[in-house]
Amino acid sequence: MLTVRNLQVRYGRSVAALHGIDLDVPDDGVLAVLGSNGAGKSTLLRTISGTLRMHRGTVVGGEIHYGDRRIDKLDPASIVGLGIVGVPEGRQIFARMTVDENLRAGAMGARSAQRRAAARERVHELFPVLAERARQRAGLLSGGEQQMLAIGRALMSGPRLLLLDEPSLGLAPKVVARIGEIIREIHAQGTAVVLVEQNAVMALQVADHAVVLEVGTVALSGSAAGLSESEEVQRLYLGGHAESDAAAQEEAAAARTQRAGRRGLSRWAG
Amino acid sequence: MSEIATESPPTAPESPPSPVRRRGPMWWVRGALWLALLVLLLVLPLYLEAQWLRAGQYMMVGAVGAIGLTLLTGQAGQLSLAHAFFLLAGGTSYTVLSGSTEGGTLVGFGLDPLLSLVGAVVITALLGLAFAPVAGRLRGIYLGVASLALVFLGLYFGQAAETLTGGTSTGRSPTPFSLFGFEFSNEGDLEILNVPFRQAERLWYLFLALTAIAFLLARGAVRSRVGRSWRAVRDNEPAAAVMGVSVPRAKAGAFAVSSAYAGLAGVMTVLWFDILKPDESEFGTYGINVSIAFLAMVIIGGLGSVPGALVGALVVNGLPQVLALYSTDLGWFTGTGEGTFTPVLISSFVYGAAIILVVLFEPGGLAAIGRRIAGRLSFTQRGKE
Repeated sequence: MLTVRNLQVRYGRSVAALHGIDLDVPDDGVLAVLGSNGAGKSTLLRTISGTLRMHRGTVVGGEIHYGDRRIDKLDPASIVGLGIVGVPEGRQIFARMTVDENLRAGAMGARSAQRRAAARERVHELFPVLAERARQRAGLLSGGEQQMLAIGRALMSGPRLLLLDEPSLGLAPKVVARIGEIIREIHAQGTAVVLVEQNAVMALQVADHAVVLEVGTVALSGSAAGLSESEEVQRLYLGGHAESDAAAQEEAAAARTQRAGRRGLSRWAG
Repeated sequence: MSEIATESPPTAPESPPSPVRRRGPMWWVRGALWLALLVLLLVLPLYLEAQWLRAGQYMMVGAVGAIGLTLLTGQAGQLSLAHAFFLLAGGTSYTVLSGSTEGGTLVGFGLDPLLSLVGAVVITALLGLAFAPVAGRLRGIYLGVASLALVFLGLYFGQAAETLTGGTSTGRSPTPFSLFGFEFSNEGDLEILNVPFRQAERLWYLFLALTAIAFLLARGAVRSRVGRSWRAVRDNEPAAAVMGVSVPRAKAGAFAVSSAYAGLAGVMTVLWFDILKPDESEFGTYGINVSIAFLAMVIIGGLGSVPGALVGALVVNGLPQVLALYSTDLGWFTGTGEGTFTPVLISSFVYGAAIILVVLFEPGGLAAIGRRIAGRLSFTQRGKE
């Protein structure tokens, strides 16, 4: 469905964010993109949705294809027109508009009123709370509700590929679990999803496939189940240790000595 | 939230409240009020003297311009101080398009006045569009300052292009507006209900019609997809972009529409003064103070509110006119020379104070106060049901 080949992205003149990324989003699958801060996860989504230039980034090399269409040169509006809709990081809702207006804003791409009504019904089924609060200002919703609104707004245009940028950011664990469920439901209704997450536990439960980014390159890729078995992912993102407690302690000790060797900010000397 | 965090899929609520826009419980009261206002405005020329009608027309000029600015600044979130420039551009375009060539000193195309009016609106819209690349790059106060440059450009242009504007010393008189042969001037005798209909009365209806059209179009834009895309861009550009709004196009469109409104207000200004006279200094009919007056109308009325812009224009453009009329009757502020209180000076103080009060106590402006009153009324209404 979506293929990314040798994608290279830079911010400004010097900051290289992605050095040659390859990945595939299968038809109606969920792809999880994991990685630590600065790995280039958000940059990847910005590039796909065409909003990279708003963040002063440029595509230096590589191609993105959606079906047989090349989309890395299109503007954001036409990318949405193709059915690729993003949910930006940090639930960027329109805070001064009502909940309902936010949803209407999401449907700006959908032409017929009938399809819009159907989409709204679907969103209200997924998120009953949005129907209850239709007339409230979106800024007054709780964090979890705002995230639901951001996802619901993206669903209003009936996307075929949904790009989610850290939907779990700053949410309570229970709400995170609920968001995970919703992503699975969206997927079950036939929408492919690219899920960028730091919360690897949730992401790997939801996804079919996963890639791990490390400073702008793909470090690991494979099926979600396979990756959650892998030692490296467990060690880095799942908080568990693959080998044994002894190995873990050894590692912790190594980390301590390393830390002691490093200069810290412990005291102001001057 | 808590009980649905379990494995079971959420059940749809039994009856979600319909999100479709319903008529408010007070819709018929609102309708009746609007109708009463319209009737009142239609019969006023039968009772008021010409000078009062002219004061009212000046408020309508302000209203049309302010509606344009509230769309740009309130709905699309772009601060503009260039309104006075577009006023001058609109007025000049109308005068040139409808005027005649006189002895080689003036350029005129002699077009039909209605066509000229439409042409003037289109020309100013295009000028606004030409400024869009700048508007797309800057925001907030930076855009305000950049747009202010246009006012000085207008000042220079007015002085330099004497063949178009008539120059700062004499100005140029515009062709009176006429519609299908009916002139909006003192030509001919027309009496309705024993009231002679001369220029003031005729222009009143013309201005009323233009203001009503401007108002309805703006309200339509605000409620439709266009307005939604403007607000989306105002609230959050990246989010608007991923929703499929073309951000540069939305911004350019807002600027063009706002300029078109200013252009129409410029045509009305020229017709009202019965002369196009470019300014000698930057504080004239098309100067900085006018740009700021429009901003004041929009802030007092409530940013983004179309009815608010009407009320703001009533305050800012109406007050000096009404004070001047009263003061001649009552003998107030009749002194001359430096340091005397003229009606214009006093109304500047009043609307300056109004801006401060609005910003301090009700940032939503008069529109927010109106909404609150309406909300309270409909609440008591609902309580009775």
